[in-house]
Amino acid sequence: MTALTLDVRDVTKRYGDGETSVTAVQGVSLAVAPGEIVLIMGPSGSGKTTLLSMMGALLRPTSGSIHLDGTAISELSEGKLPAIRLRQFGFIFQDFNLLSALTIRENVSLVAELSGTKRRAAREKATAILTELGLGARLDFLPDKLSGGEKQRVAIARALINDPALILADEPTANLDSKIGHEIMRLLRRIAKEQGRSVVIVSHDQRIRDIADRVLWLEDGRFKEIVTMATDPVCGMSVDRERAVSAERDGERYWFCSNGCRSEFLGGPSDGHDPFGLALVERARHVVEAVIRGVSAAR
Amino acid sequence: MSATWLLARRNLMRRRVRLIVSIGGVALALTLVLALDAIFEGVSRQLTSYIDRSGADVWVAQSGVRNLHMVASWMPDSATDEVRNVGGVAEAQPILYSTDSIVAADERGWAYVIGLPADASMGGPWDVVEGTGRPGAGEAVIDRRFAQRAGVGLGDTVTLLGREFRIAGLTEGTASLVNSVVFVSFDDFAAQRAGEPTVSFVLVRVAEGASADDVARAIGERVGGVSVQTTEAFGRAERQLVLDMSGDVISIMNIIGFVVGLAVVALTVYVATLALRREYGSLKAFGAPNRYLYRVVLTQAGLSVAIGFLAGIAVTAALSAIVPRTGANLELAIGAGSLLKVGVVAAVIAALAALLPIRQIAGLDPAIVAREGV
Repeated sequence: MTALTLDVRDVTKRYGDGETSVTAVQGVSLAVAPGEIVLIMGPSGSGKTTLLSMMGALLRPTSGSIHLDGTAISELSEGKLPAIRLRQFGFIFQDFNLLSALTIRENVSLVAELSGTKRRAAREKATAILTELGLGARLDFLPDKLSGGEKQRVAIARALINDPALILADEPTANLDSKIGHEIMRLLRRIAKEQGRSVVIVSHDQRIRDIADRVLWLEDGRFKEIVTMATDPVCGMSVDRERAVSAERDGERYWFCSNGCRSEFLGGPSDGHDPFGLALVERARHVVEAVIRGVSAAR
Repeated sequence: MSATWLLARRNLMRRRVRLIVSIGGVALALTLVLALDAIFEGVSRQLTSYIDRSGADVWVAQSGVRNLHMVASWMPDSATDEVRNVGGVAEAQPILYSTDSIVAADERGWAYVIGLPADASMGGPWDVVEGTGRPGAGEAVIDRRFAQRAGVGLGDTVTLLGREFRIAGLTEGTASLVNSVVFVSFDDFAAQRAGEPTVSFVLVRVAEGASADDVARAIGERVGGVSVQTTEAFGRAERQLVLDMSGDVISIMNIIGFVVGLAVVALTVYVATLALRREYGSLKAFGAPNRYLYRVVLTQAGLSVAIGFLAGIAVTAALSAIVPRTGANLELAIGAGSLLKVGVVAAVIAALAALLPIRQIAGLDPAIVAREGV
């Protein structure tokens, strides 16, 4: 494996034309250093997956460029991209995307064979990686016989089989329970730190912040400075300091996702102008949302 | 085992029901084509069996007569001597021939009626299973299956050429889907026909070392008002006639078989590809080039069709063994030409069936795997 730098320069991705066009990513720049773990967070629809797809040469930007160790991969012809994807990137997806008809060893070795490794060598390499990831006893199992965590480990093995410099992971813990999610996070960190691979993770999962070297916040297709983000002390939601309502207490400033949270934080409607009890309704809405988020994270 | 073969085979085998439907559909369609060819080949063989088994090397007929089926051939009986005198002719023997109905009890059928000289060494029955093969006065030698259907046997009577004949012999291998071959004495046939003495065909055996082609050519040059062909050419003309008569039907059935086979394989391969769209997308995302995915789809289609083709051959072979035992005057013969034709048809079906899925894969966006709900 050769350490490579991924450089995203002023990239924009627009879907559709004219009035119906949607800009998913707008003027984003980012450089990922060898061995670095970068976590990209942001609300649903913020453009995270689109950005990750462009970084992995799965999607072409509308404007801007993406460079891999100086080579503008966003400018390469379609015919040259498979070789780049095969050898330079390892992909991990939320839904694992394992081939259902193949055993887990075949799932992994197939990707090595596609890169030109002889069948026997590919098989041995797949066996070694899967064994290292704790799946040595399940090499000949079909994917549907495995748990979610095991499937994700197979997906990680597949991502590593061609010794890529960059691992791109899209919501790698989304379909896993809390314990398995932590295991996968630790595994990704080990891969980055022990093997010197760059890892870019797109996720909603706050827990991944613990392993990331850098956390970026993507919203409305643009990066926000992570320092401008604050956590609502009432509902725990990340909020943009520039847009959020705020209040000061004991000499310290707090930011809130809504007036309801702000009111609750301050101990009820501060100005008394809430004849319809809207603050209470708002609060109820946030409680429900917090419960839903908790359930999703537990899954 | 290559990566292509591995994935194609596993994709097929993992979805057994779909595989069985696909193979069954192909087998059915190709069996339709193969069985029809086999029936045609069998009927052709049956229809030319009298010519093929006549023992003659050369057939001499009335001028313009090139085959046996549905023809009338009359030549003066002097033609036999004229032929006999041509160099290279070892033996020349006349027969009388007509297509007529044969009636026994309530059974009625069509028959090639052959008037056979008492000392005939050619043109007689070749497999006599009961009685004699040399009909005497007032006697007929008929096909055993016809006799069985009519419920008659040796000593019973049949009506043909406008009179009754006593059954003196039963033969095997002289019936086809459309008719049977009946033998009566030359004199009885001539008496029924009346008029000037005539013969229908002169059968010729060439002298040892002589070429049938050369002798046929010499007879044509020396004897006027006749058409001369080697037995091989005469049989070929007969088969061509059958082909001309049934060619349209066979072509239509072949096309139907082709279309059914194509539709079944195309649909199953297409559905299989559609169901695995996300998996193909993920392979693209991991760097599998399009040509690899095309090969997987082509291999899947090819495997389905190859297995279906073999199953089709097996079914047709089974039919060809079973059908004659049912008592039907039907013979199925699988020819090498037919196998080659159906093999080519199967290959074309596989290639065409893979086109649509390949098109689908070509347009597949590898980013599909990163999006939910696709």
